Amino acid sequence: MDRPLKRIVYAVLATVSGLVLLFGYRTSHGEEISAAAAASTNSGVSSDSSGSTSDAQQSTSGDSAGSSSDGSSSNGSSGSGSDASSGASTSSDAAASSGLQDGTYTGDSVGTRFGPVQVQITVSGGSISAVDVIDYPSDNPRDRQINERALPTLISETTSAQSAQIDMVSGATYTSQGYLQSLQSAIDQAQS
Amino acid sequence: MTGRQVRSIPVMGTVASVHVIGTADAAGLDAAVDACADTLHRADRVFSTYDDASDIRRMARGELLEEDADPWVAEVAEGCRRAEIETGGLFDAHLPGFFDPTGFVKGWATERALREHLAPLLLLPGVQAVGLDVGGDLQVRTSPDSDWTWNIGIVDPADRGRVLATVPLRDGAVATSGSAERGDHIVDPRRGAPATGIRSATVIADSLTRADVGATAVVVAGNDVSWLPRATGTSGLLVTVTGSIRRWIDGVTVDVNSRPTTAPLLTPV
Repeated sequence: MDRPLKRIVYAVLATVSGLVLLFGYRTSHGEEISAAAAASTNSGVSSDSSGSTSDAQQSTSGDSAGSSSDGSSSNGSSGSGSDASSGASTSSDAAASSGLQDGTYTGDSVGTRFGPVQVQITVSGGSISAVDVIDYPSDNPRDRQINERALPTLISETTSAQSAQIDMVSGATYTSQGYLQSLQSAIDQAQS
Repeated sequence: MTGRQVRSIPVMGTVASVHVIGTADAAGLDAAVDACADTLHRADRVFSTYDDASDIRRMARGELLEEDADPWVAEVAEGCRRAEIETGGLFDAHLPGFFDPTGFVKGWATERALREHLAPLLLLPGVQAVGLDVGGDLQVRTSPDSDWTWNIGIVDPADRGRVLATVPLRDGAVATSGSAERGDHIVDPRRGAPATGIRSATVIADSLTRADVGATAVVVAGNDVSWLPRATGTSGLLVTVTGSIRRWIDGVTVDVNSRPTTAPLLTPV
């Protein structure tokens, strides 16, 4: 992939970071595509950042699953604004019809005032078929509330998880005997 | 420090753990735990494949008709048929000659027990969240007013004393299937032989019934992950017998590069 395309994708990724933050870390398919398209189009018009935000909100407001409206609306606009301007250095039209190679692309971790956000896009048939949040601020419980769309965080990806408080354990079904040696048993005994 | 009360119930050849976050009235908690235990024991009596006196064993021997069996049999049979369709046959409780809903019942009964007997505790003042883990498959509920988040550990199948990954959850279910505890016990219904390619599969979903069936189906599918695009509404993690790990959200595989310090702007995976 050549350098201009990379920059374009990066611009989309950076912008999408802000947008995803805005929308409470939603990870579904169709709406995010329009959000990305709206973002990339508007990022070229950096002066109109408030318009960019409201456009994008409109394009995704139909599906409320997983997005908590409070806490993200006011917070998100500032995050989105700064990210949009960082991505605004590249032209936008190409991103919408870029003919990207199929594959999965991971953006850099983007620092926001809430913590690092990192997103990944999947390109299929030359267009973005999915946008996924693969890193998100972990110190705010409300922000972590993504339920069934929660991505398991590998221990090797974090240092903090090693010492994290585990509340319950999922694993292959243990027998009554196996329970005695299980992590769940240790947790149960420590808590009761 | 948020209080927590824990009870354990020996059932289904394993142990169920009840966790209540917050402060619950002891009498109310005891009654809820007893009712929970009743639900799980009833499921055991009706569906156990180890107990010759269970309804499904008697049905298999032709001693009991489905219409005379516990009404849960019909309910579970219907749920299994839906699961067979949804998984494209990767899950199949209707093997030739014998109805064996083992891969369905534990998740279904656990979800039911939590919904009917533990979730009502959330209405009590002081109770923030309730969770039920039966032998490694769990469902949790959290009061909308609480900022509690469950931190769920996923066991490393290569070392059962370690956690491989963690996942935050407020309302939902996590189920794991695999060979780490009891060997290759999951049968691939398409071949009639044990499924062997996947060491451990974890599925996170709203419903433990769905998560449990899904985890079994992922193990059966083995290295063929053509099921993934259908796995919308779930996320999860699988570990193959060679130790490689795949994770997905909402039907899309997610590969995460290790956090770079001087990173390229973009890394094709």
